[in-house]
Amino acid sequence: MPHITFIHGIGNKPSETDLHSIWRHALGEGSDPLYLGDLGVTSSFVYWADLLYEKPDDDLSAYEGLLENTQAAIDASGEVAWPVARTPAEAAFLDAMRQRLTSLKDEEIDHALQSQMPTGMEAVGALERVPLPWCLKKPLMAVLLRDAHHYLFDVRFAPPGKPALPIQGTIRQRFVQKLNQPDIVGPHVVVSHSMGTIIAYDCLKRVPGCPAVDGLITLGCPLGLDEVQDQLKPGWSRSEGFPSLRVRDRWFNLFDRLDPVCGFDPELANDYRKAGTNSVIDEAVGNPGAWRHSATKYLRQPAVAQALRTLLQV
Amino acid sequence: MAPDHDALHARCEQALAHVRGIGTEAELAQAGDLVLELRNARQYPEMARLAEAISRRLPGDARNRRLYGQALIEQGLVTAAIDMLKPLARRLPHDHPEHAEAVGLLGRAHKQIFLDAGDKTTDAAREALKQAIAVYRKPFEEDPGKTWHGVNLLALLTRARRLGLKIAPDLEPGEVAARVIQQLDAVPPQRRDEWHLPTLAEASLGLGDWARVEAALKSYVADDKTQAFLIASTLRQFTAVWDIESIDARGRSLADILRARLLQLSQGEVQLTPSMLQQARQQADPPAGQLEAVLGDCGTNTWNWWKTGLERASAVCSVRARLGGRVGTGWLVQAASLGLTPGDERLVMTNHHVVNANGENKGIQPDAAELVFEAIDAGKVYTVKEIVWSSPVERHDCTLLRLNEPLTDMVPLPLAKHLPVLEQQARVYVIGHPGGRDLAFSLQDNELLDHEGPPQGKPQIPGVCRVHYRAPTEGGSSGSPVFNGNLWEVVALHHMGGKLGMPRLNGQPGTYAANEGIALQSIVEAMHSPSGCK
Repeated sequence: MPHITFIHGIGNKPSETDLHSIWRHALGEGSDPLYLGDLGVTSSFVYWADLLYEKPDDDLSAYEGLLENTQAAIDASGEVAWPVARTPAEAAFLDAMRQRLTSLKDEEIDHALQSQMPTGMEAVGALERVPLPWCLKKPLMAVLLRDAHHYLFDVRFAPPGKPALPIQGTIRQRFVQKLNQPDIVGPHVVVSHSMGTIIAYDCLKRVPGCPAVDGLITLGCPLGLDEVQDQLKPGWSRSEGFPSLRVRDRWFNLFDRLDPVCGFDPELANDYRKAGTNSVIDEAVGNPGAWRHSATKYLRQPAVAQALRTLLQV
Repeated sequence: MAPDHDALHARCEQALAHVRGIGTEAELAQAGDLVLELRNARQYPEMARLAEAISRRLPGDARNRRLYGQALIEQGLVTAAIDMLKPLARRLPHDHPEHAEAVGLLGRAHKQIFLDAGDKTTDAAREALKQAIAVYRKPFEEDPGKTWHGVNLLALLTRARRLGLKIAPDLEPGEVAARVIQQLDAVPPQRRDEWHLPTLAEASLGLGDWARVEAALKSYVADDKTQAFLIASTLRQFTAVWDIESIDARGRSLADILRARLLQLSQGEVQLTPSMLQQARQQADPPAGQLEAVLGDCGTNTWNWWKTGLERASAVCSVRARLGGRVGTGWLVQAASLGLTPGDERLVMTNHHVVNANGENKGIQPDAAELVFEAIDAGKVYTVKEIVWSSPVERHDCTLLRLNEPLTDMVPLPLAKHLPVLEQQARVYVIGHPGGRDLAFSLQDNELLDHEGPPQGKPQIPGVCRVHYRAPTEGGSSGSPVFNGNLWEVVALHHMGGKLGMPRLNGQPGTYAANEGIALQSIVEAMHSPSGCK
């Protein structure tokens, strides 16, 4: 039977069961609906929000709806402290990523927060292009930097009331375990979103013993950023970036140019080549609303349904 | 959430034991509450049994008598219900909370007699309509806040005027409608119950205010959390009492929009006569504005899904015994979908226990069978040339028929490649001709309970993959196609069901109420297996 392994992105999330159900339903809600249940497509979910957050977010509607009025609706659920760099390399990563997101200084953001001022549209950072107030964008920035940093630098972290665990090591283990489920026959496709795309790529390219899959789909993927690519060495190179050993068929990369997480360098074909040849299939989509990074908005795109039909042969 | 019928049944048996024995006051009170639960779960025969038992212990329990009356109405025993409800309404003081309920049900009983009458102009039908109007009128005039009575008075009065009957000539339907709406508008939002919007929609219909009808409908019809019984009730009132389908195209479209939404909901069931099905298939799509006005943004998707279901129904046929009545259901399938040649040939699949070579298991022999595709042409009869393949009741319970005439102008049903995934809210649909209603097509939502297919299924009969599903009411008829929930592809051949006590699948202990079908893919595999049956 065809099978999908999903992996989510940054921020706190609803429980694994709820999020899994939301994602499956979202695929059936677009203008070219893909009804996984009717098609006999089974799925599993690599869930890792529990490693970074105290408890699941119970505001399910924020993950299904079209409103952009809460932190959860823009992938910034969970109160997150700004990550602290332990080494110069970590400091450089955080600084570079911050500059990608905004050119505003901390005090300018605070000023915008207090005065309810417009968001500084003249500036060049990704978040400046998002027509949402800073009371939503500021926590998003903290979530994005914290979650990416903790994974890429394998920080040991303990949410309140939970034991400390190495973030990268634990998530890698979960990913490999889910891909190794004995009842998966195939075709088997990984669908990843946001930070989940980095994790999926990292495991499929760099983790020994990770099983192979038939296809990979990345949505709103920040793998085009130099700062991220630098952290995927050894393993990644521009000419041999495609995870050929563990992705047997195609890699579809879908992006919205106004998605601030991937928008600076959304196309991957030139950075993840197979034997020096462009192989990733990049496709631009247009998500509705002000917040273009939402997983369910991507999952409702006909291009995602089409990519899944191709890879799953349904 | 769907009620657990097995648990309800067990609780009912336990309550009956208490009530018939030396049950305490608390146990009697619990039994009384269970009668209400059984009503909400539409388990009317059990509701009546328990209400009867309670009546013997507590003959003065007004609520129980009223619910007993309702159980009788729901089972078609309407005159018996009237004989029970009349003295109840008479003996209760008007300010007793059960008085209004009993009077309302009495009105409903008379209304039902009128609606059931084939000829609405007979003396019996007119008398029933007159009685119903009189019964609803009194409490509404005493207390206009009783909008349930008011809106029924309005609906029946309007119907009487359209039939040219001079019942209650001093009442003007438009004035009754205005009074009902005025009362509804005066209810503070926090005190509005689930019937507020359906009543408002109906009252607005009395004023001919279609925009307000559609706005009121949208507020609950399009809601994800709406219950099937609310829409079923609105549909019944709009079609049976108001007869909106005979008013104009807008009325016909509205009825079909409500049917589409009802079928989409958990526990939904839509019954159509063959002529209604033909009309619905041929009817032009409603304007997008009307779809959105009632169903919201998903209106077009819901409508397209409904129309696909109707198209599928046209490939479903009744199987009749020559010179006899219906014995089951069959459906058209293309030989190529089954891996047979010639690939473009159209064959008909049904159950072995419906048609088989030797007439076993109460089935009929092929030369005694007649097939009619009632949604296409109820007068055209097809006869059987031969049995192409069959598998006995204890295995696939399947017979594949070749007909004497080609069926080139009909679209065969598509088959699903896989069984649906077993997940929360997974559903399948059965289209067939349920027993006892010879003129009805039933499109029925079923909760998918379990199956023996991959990835976790463990077939207990080698080569046979069974599927279990549960409908809110009775089971579909033998030989019906079972469809997946969104794509309308056939996943199984229905062969048995509706009964309590079906052993669970996959080695799980216990039994439950379930229908059973055989997965199509296991039938196809058997057709090509050396050990498969002929």
